[in-house]
Amino acid sequence: MPSSMIVRALGLATLALFFLAAFTPLAAFLYEMITVPVHIERADAIVVLAGGGVLPSGQLTDTSLRRTVRGIALYRDGLAPLLVLSSAAGRRSESAARSVLAGKFGVPDTAILASSAGDTTHEEVAALQPLLRARGVRRLILVTDGAHMRRAMGLVRNAGFEVLAAPVAEVEAPTQPEPRLRLLRAALREGLALVYYHIAGYL
Amino acid sequence: MTPYMAVALMSLVAYFIAVKRLGWQPSDLGRALGRVAESLGAGMIFAVVNVLAAAGLVLGLRTLTDRFLSLYSLDDLVWFALSMLQGWVWGLWRDSKAAPLR
Repeated sequence: MPSSMIVRALGLATLALFFLAAFTPLAAFLYEMITVPVHIERADAIVVLAGGGVLPSGQLTDTSLRRTVRGIALYRDGLAPLLVLSSAAGRRSESAARSVLAGKFGVPDTAILASSAGDTTHEEVAALQPLLRARGVRRLILVTDGAHMRRAMGLVRNAGFEVLAAPVAEVEAPTQPEPRLRLLRAALREGLALVYYHIAGYL
Repeated sequence: MTPYMAVALMSLVAYFIAVKRLGWQPSDLGRALGRVAESLGAGMIFAVVNVLAAAGLVLGLRTLTDRFLSLYSLDDLVWFALSMLQGWVWGLWRDSKAAPLR
C-alpha cells in the first residue's frame, strides 16, 4: 500500500467526487461529453442495435424495447425504407420479438431485416456490414442508447457507412442524487468502454 | 432533499450527544474522519485492482475458451461495496499492529 497520506487523499477525492456527483450537475455534464446530438435525415436504413435480448418470459428487455420503439417510430415517419433489427448471436429471439412488435405497429415484413450475430458491439457491426452492403445501404440512421452512440457510430463509420444519430434517452437531466449517480455510472462505464475500444484498435 | 436534510440534522444531534453526554473530544472527530478517508482510499485502490483483475479474467476466458463473457458483467455495484469492505478491513488490520484489537 502507498503511504497513508496518499491513501487518505484518494479517499478525500472519492468523497468529493461522490458529493459533487450527487448534489451538482457534474454527472449530467460528464454524460453530455460522451453523447452525440440527435441528427436525423432521410437515409437508406434504420439500424436498431441489440439491447440486452429478451427476458425468460419472452418479453424484450427495457433497453431493447426502447430502442425498437424508437426505430419503429422513425420508420413510421418515413425516414428510411428498411428497418434493421439486430440482436446478439444466439439471441434470435430478440430480433424475432422485435420483428413481431414492428409488424404489430404496421411495418411490413418486406421492410424488416432481422439480424442475429456477434457478442459485442464491434462484432455486431462487423456482422451487419455485409447484410447492409447487400441491400445497397450507404447512409443509415443508427438507434442505440445515448451513452452507447459515440462508440457505435465510430464502428459503423469505420465500416464505411454514413451515420446519422438517433439516440434513445436513458435519463434526462436528473435533479435527484440517486439518478445523478446512476448517470455518472453510465458515463464512467461508457468512458471505459471507449478507452478499451481505442486500445483494441476498433475505433 | 428531505432525507438528506434529516441526515445533516441527525449528524448534528449525534455530535452534541457525543460531546455533551458521552464526553468525547471534538478534536478526535478530525482524526476519525481522516481514518474514514483512509479506509475509502484503500477501498478505491482495491476497487481499481479488482476491476482490472476481473477484466483480465473475462478477456482471458474469452481467449482461452469458446465461452463468451461480457465485460458488462463488471457493471455491478456489489464488487464496489466489497472493495470498500476490503479497504476497511485492511485499515483495521494495519491499525491493530499499533494497538491490538480487543
